[in-house]
Amino acid sequence: MKTLARSGELHGFEIAHSIQSSSQGVLQIEEGSLYPALQRMLIKGWVTARWGTTAGNRRARYYQLTAAGRKQLVMEMSQFERVIGAIARVIEAN
Amino acid sequence: MERNVAMNWLQELARRLKMLIHRRQFDAYLKEEMRLHLDLLQEEKLKFGVNAAYAKVAARRQFGNETALLEKSHLALGWEWLENLLQDANYGVRAMLRSPGITVVALLSLALGIGANTAIFSLIDAVMLRSLPVKDPSRLVLFGNGLDWGISDGFPNTLLYSYPFYREVQKRNQVFSEVAAAFSMPDRVHGFVEGQSEAEAMNVQLVSGTYFPLLGVEAVLGRTLSEEDDQTEGGPPVAMISYAWWAGSLARDPAVLNRKLKIGPTIFSIVGVAPPEFFGTKVGESPDIWIPLSLQKEIPPGWNGYDDQMFESLHLMARLKPGVTITEANANANLLFQQILRGFSKAPLSQENLNKLDKTHVDLNSMATGFSRLRWQFSEPLKVLMVVVGLVLLIACANIANLLLVRSTARARELAIRQALGAGRARLIRQLLTESLVLALTGGALGILFASVASRFLVRIISGHRNTLRLDTPIDTHLLVFSLGVTLATALLFGALPAFRATGFHLSGSLKDGRGQGSSSSKGRLARALVVSQVALSLVLLVGAGLFVRSLMNLIHIDTGFNKENVIRMHIDASSAGYPEDDRLMRMYRAVEDRVRSLPGVRAASFAGFTFNEGTWNNSIWVQGYLDGHRDQDVHHNAVGTGYFTAMGIPILAGRPFGPEDTTNSPKVGVIGETMARTMFPSGSPLGRHYGRGGPEHADDIEVIGVAKDVKYNSLDEDQQPGDYLPYSQNPRYLDDFAVRHSGDSATIASAVRQAIHEVDPALPVSEVMTMDQVVTGSIINQRLVAQLSGFFGVLALFLTCIGIYGLMSYTVARRTSEIGLRMALGAERSNVVWLVVRESLWLVGLGLAIGVPAALAGNQLVASMLYGLRANDSLSLVAGVGLLLAVAALAGYLPARRASLVDPMGSLRYE
Repeated sequence: MKTLARSGELHGFEIAHSIQSSSQGVLQIEEGSLYPALQRMLIKGWVTARWGTTAGNRRARYYQLTAAGRKQLVMEMSQFERVIGAIARVIEAN
Repeated sequence: MERNVAMNWLQELARRLKMLIHRRQFDAYLKEEMRLHLDLLQEEKLKFGVNAAYAKVAARRQFGNETALLEKSHLALGWEWLENLLQDANYGVRAMLRSPGITVVALLSLALGIGANTAIFSLIDAVMLRSLPVKDPSRLVLFGNGLDWGISDGFPNTLLYSYPFYREVQKRNQVFSEVAAAFSMPDRVHGFVEGQSEAEAMNVQLVSGTYFPLLGVEAVLGRTLSEEDDQTEGGPPVAMISYAWWAGSLARDPAVLNRKLKIGPTIFSIVGVAPPEFFGTKVGESPDIWIPLSLQKEIPPGWNGYDDQMFESLHLMARLKPGVTITEANANANLLFQQILRGFSKAPLSQENLNKLDKTHVDLNSMATGFSRLRWQFSEPLKVLMVVVGLVLLIACANIANLLLVRSTARARELAIRQALGAGRARLIRQLLTESLVLALTGGALGILFASVASRFLVRIISGHRNTLRLDTPIDTHLLVFSLGVTLATALLFGALPAFRATGFHLSGSLKDGRGQGSSSSKGRLARALVVSQVALSLVLLVGAGLFVRSLMNLIHIDTGFNKENVIRMHIDASSAGYPEDDRLMRMYRAVEDRVRSLPGVRAASFAGFTFNEGTWNNSIWVQGYLDGHRDQDVHHNAVGTGYFTAMGIPILAGRPFGPEDTTNSPKVGVIGETMARTMFPSGSPLGRHYGRGGPEHADDIEVIGVAKDVKYNSLDEDQQPGDYLPYSQNPRYLDDFAVRHSGDSATIASAVRQAIHEVDPALPVSEVMTMDQVVTGSIINQRLVAQLSGFFGVLALFLTCIGIYGLMSYTVARRTSEIGLRMALGAERSNVVWLVVRESLWLVGLGLAIGVPAALAGNQLVASMLYGLRANDSLSLVAGVGLLLAVAALAGYLPARRASLVDPMGSLRYE
């Protein structure tokens, strides 16, 4: 979601790549697991999808974040930061 | 915020639904996306210069398992439960088709069981439960119970009221927002739709102007009757018609408000059409036409009760004011009742009557579901039948549970394999239950189909000889909810036990041995318990049916006093044809009698006030010389022609019947029944003695000239009651009945008689032509209904039980083949083997009977009041039931036993 928020409209491959490059290869996920997650977000109404054409002139589905998705992102980020902060504090305390 | 959450949820559901509907597209899109992703990955790898095959594998590794991802995406949709359900249902259908024998038996018993329940419930719903189709029916109350009908001058009367009484209550009460009155019986007249020459039977309901406003019923066309229509006697002749009558007799004429009706001498304008669901306030009597009470004198027979304080003929109903409870209303109604009656100038306010009045209370009853004699007459039989069909359904459930149990044994291996492969027990139970549900739903659908036919048939039985009862039993939501509930309960009932049983085995054991020896003994115990309960329930049903059938036989063999063979009876509506109640009427009666008597095949013909089961005309009589001892003796009167005793086959035991010598001017005479002779003329012969009606001063009015055999008046099971006959020549009045004794075919005679009547006067409406036999049969329809249906269901229960025993024994024999083979190899005779199996089935039945006999005896006590001429613990019914069950059990056990005895010892041993 974060990726989509940053880059606007992307298709699945681009999203996967974007995640990998921005994590500098630390996050090696099974790229396919992106798709069930995207379907979940479609149902929740956090993203929308439309068909477009890639640079290589192939049909691809482009995903875009919706307003609801943005709101969700903000919520999850703050949640995430709180958890990370808590973990960091626990580690530092030791 | 709340709303937002709900909105989001709804939108999400909409998206889920959309995706479910476009699932193919969803899949195709996903696959295309994944393919693109894979391709791009592969291209990327190729750029690094690896070979094509490696690139493909590497891309796949990086992407993950495509099929698994696709499935995971499906889970995101959240429809997997539905998919599972459909899959299970599909599997269930296939399982049903795989064993058609079991399926057919199961479906048939389910359809009959659920159908019978639905049909009986539809009647109960129509007769007892359904609310009146009016505004806020729960605020409506009825004065009295609505069971009495007719015209009375009794004092004080809490069931029927006069028109002036209605007006006083309306004026003086403080608890009702509106009061209305309706004539207590429908007026069946013959009238004309203007412009048509054929007279038509019409059911007229006289109502007060407040009737429709009280109920809050609006006309679908025109207007309803209103208070303005009911202001002055003989006021504007207006009529409102029912929707059904508009649709039938007027062919939905849109210009209906310009049409006129001619009833008697009066021409009525149609002012409105009632809504289709409105059938009146009395269940089972749907009027065709509503006419204001102010016009009662204008339609035949010309009642004259508009200002008569003691012409008690109305049912009174009222709507409670907001906030008033029925108890408060009752108090006010009783106060008014006392005040109004005491204020009536015409009321017979003797000291004795005033004492009676002091002790009299009016009961207000809720009118939410309308009121009806029908309910009073049929609620008990219907409840009994509901219990009966409920038990039948239970037996059917037990049967199907057994069948499924046997099948699940056969499937034990399959289920074990599935469990071994990782299917959860819950998942398997769910699947087995879904299969039961598929079975039950199919059976339920068939049952509803069956019920729609059966309920129409039942309504016809209940209607008996009357015009078909106007009772609606549509398949409505009420009913569907009921059937669905029954179906689901059934599925659970027969499906749950086998499902739990079938999945609760020890895996390894079942896998090792397909026949599931390990759990079969407990399975057998369950199956036996089911059969035992079937036997017990069947016995209850059979014994009950035996009682009802025997009770009916007793009723049928009661001596009616008249000879019901070879008599036809019809109604002739002289008042609608315009005859006044005087000499002209009597001359017409005589002319019709003479004309009909001259027909070939007719032995006698006579008009009469009543024949049988048509109500009575009661009066007090005073006997000469017994002024005080015999006052106020209620006696059934009947006005008849000279041929009546011959026509009805009532023997004259002493004296003579009426003859031509008994004329208007000759001394008044009467023929009395045996009971009247015995009770009112106890000493010596009654012939030549005198009695009279209307007061002690009339005690020598009528001379007794004959004594006739006692007859039944209204019902076969009534006690013998005193009654007399008077010649109509001396008692001019409308006589609706015409009885004809004939030889030969009754239908031929009936049409010849009808023709002869119309030769005398073509305008005379003739209706309800029946044989006396049909009339008598019609009077015991509810006993007949209960006897026939309980008999039918008893046999059905027996049959189902028979199947149950047969199934269990076949299963036992199949399971014990090797044991039987061994026994035979060791020298057991075939007869020993047969006995071995039959003994087991008899043992089961014995156990069932041991439970069933006390249950049947207890159940019978509940229906004791519905029996005639026998006690509830009637031993013949009990012995017959027990005998029948034993015989059937022996038969059902014998067939598998014979199969067992034909086992080839060597073959079965080798098989093991």
